[in-house]
Amino acid sequence: MSIASSAQCLRCIGRTSLSSSRSSTWRAFSKASRQEASLNTTSSSSPPIEPTLTRQTSTPVTSTPLQTDPSESTRRQAVRKELKDPIPFEQLPYECFQEARKILQADREEKLGQIEIQRGRIARLVEQDASVSGGNVAKRKRLESMRQRLEELKILADINDPLVKKRFEDGLGDMDKPIYRHLAYKKWIAYKRKVAMQRITQMSVIPDVLPSIEPILDVDMNFDRVRVQPGNFIMSTTSERTPTFNVQSFAAGERLYTVAVIDPDIPNIDTDNFDHKCLFLATNVPISPTSPKVDVASLPDASVAHSWLPPVAQMGAPYHRISAFILRQPHGTTIDVEALKGQYPRDNLWLRDMVKKHSLRPMGVTMFRSMWDEGTDGVMERAGIEGVDMEFQRPPPEKLPYKKKPGWKFR
Amino acid sequence: MWSKSLFSAPLRSIAGESLLRFQPCLRLLPISQVRNAAHAAEGRANGAKKGAGKRLGLKKGAEELVVPGVIIFRQRGSKWHPGENCAMGRDHTIYATEKGYVKYYRDPNRNPKKKYIGVVFERHWRLPVPVGEPRRRRLGMLAVPRESEGQVGSLSPLTPAGLDGEAAGLPGVAVAATSPEESSMGEGELAKRRRRKDYVVRESNWEIGRTAEKAGVTATKFVRKDRFRAWRRAAARHRRISETKSVGRKAKKGKQGKVKK
Repeated sequence: MSIASSAQCLRCIGRTSLSSSRSSTWRAFSKASRQEASLNTTSSSSPPIEPTLTRQTSTPVTSTPLQTDPSESTRRQAVRKELKDPIPFEQLPYECFQEARKILQADREEKLGQIEIQRGRIARLVEQDASVSGGNVAKRKRLESMRQRLEELKILADINDPLVKKRFEDGLGDMDKPIYRHLAYKKWIAYKRKVAMQRITQMSVIPDVLPSIEPILDVDMNFDRVRVQPGNFIMSTTSERTPTFNVQSFAAGERLYTVAVIDPDIPNIDTDNFDHKCLFLATNVPISPTSPKVDVASLPDASVAHSWLPPVAQMGAPYHRISAFILRQPHGTTIDVEALKGQYPRDNLWLRDMVKKHSLRPMGVTMFRSMWDEGTDGVMERAGIEGVDMEFQRPPPEKLPYKKKPGWKFR
Repeated sequence: MWSKSLFSAPLRSIAGESLLRFQPCLRLLPISQVRNAAHAAEGRANGAKKGAGKRLGLKKGAEELVVPGVIIFRQRGSKWHPGENCAMGRDHTIYATEKGYVKYYRDPNRNPKKKYIGVVFERHWRLPVPVGEPRRRRLGMLAVPRESEGQVGSLSPLTPAGLDGEAAGLPGVAVAATSPEESSMGEGELAKRRRRKDYVVRESNWEIGRTAEKAGVTATKFVRKDRFRAWRRAAARHRRISETKSVGRKAKKGKQGKVKK
């Protein structure tokens, strides 16, 4: 309840002078802009000038760059710079604030006690004989729900802590801790996941490649510096480089995943239809909340079934949807890469079959689009892909077969 | 008898002068009453008058063969919605985007209330397609060898090849296949002109549009409020027109005169 107010206090500590002398700062800024002088980040107090400031201060001014989220606003960055040496909460001279902190601390103590109790209960149930606790199935179910409650309590203990919130917003959250995973999950689900879902459904990746998906992994795809927004058109020369995946999982522990990149839009003249093609396939890739990076170039050969093949669209052909799927392997199972390679060659890899056969669970997805551009010829040449000399064209429009009009209708 | 009673002495004494005068008039008035209309006879009341029929409705029935662009249903508002391989026009007309057979169907998974019109490639196929099944698609394109084989890779629509003065001066003029202008052109330029599908060798439209820019022609900026300039131009135009008209008239007169002579 008092998170917001306390967080606000935290932000305001260092800039009381700024907010009080807002008008004078603005006057100073306008004067400075008139003189085309460089702007000072720390004196930013007007949202409209923030884009300008961001552009001007793209390189960090300080010798030791702060570990910040690049999406953080300039104003906040400026406040953070001023708050290098903040007054500890205990020493703040605000009576109401201290009273509120006492309530929050009492609540946290209570939650910690509950956690201890819950842990004890779980330990006792684990040791209990299954016949006493109503059979194996019942015991397992009960344990599961108790553990779930324990996780909830862990989050509840920390969720009202303003310092936790601050650390998360500063991008310093430790993803090994449940509270930061929880906050990151909430943030992802609020916007990024929705965008990804919209793109894959609108562009029919679902159901063309897989029948359905409920993503619970935040997947980012990068080509060096170029970050792939779901559904964007990526230049062929950019996607020629090997991508890097950032797969953020929000559940504790490491799991093995299969990464597959599928292009379902390879035109086939003979069948007058589209074929699927696998651009990349790797299995047994370990991913955990703290090690989300999957660099395609540096994956061990033992886990790569099909190395990166640059996506290309021939001249005149409709755009290709390049979809990347992160599929979770069942607990404690590894997939034989050689067998996988033999079983599923690049051409016409039907991902539905693979998912079914190996009981994989689609957990994360992203996509981009590819069209013919000036660089495509070179990419095709370098990758040894045939068809540079071919072009796709629409045939002249077909006409309906002539049908004689019924004479009795038209006298 | 009548006259007797009318002018009888006792009556006159009771009713006085006025009654005497009115008595015959009342009896002579016609027996009539006014009835106002209870129901409007014209206008909105009897239902709007129907205009000409708009020839709406079904143009292609279920399982009829259609090709891309064929109108399947004309309607006011979206009584029917476009389903598979169909699209909706500006006036809610449903038309086909693929060759196939028309299907009228409902799709409870998409919207339980809407009715859809779709086109399937095979007559026996059914709509709607079950949830999670991949779309049935058709390439509908031809693979042809790329023209201007030598220029593959160097062809860039964004970098116009330098036009010589002659070509810039005569934009959009169709030239014969072996014109001197063409023979003087480079290979790439020629190939670019010949890429057009209608075999008319001419510059592309975007190049024509850039002609003025290349020739350095600039127009004076139009100022809406500059009425003096507008008046001057209008006056000049009127003068020009009147001059040409007078020239025409003189010529005609001269001709007629000659004939007469």
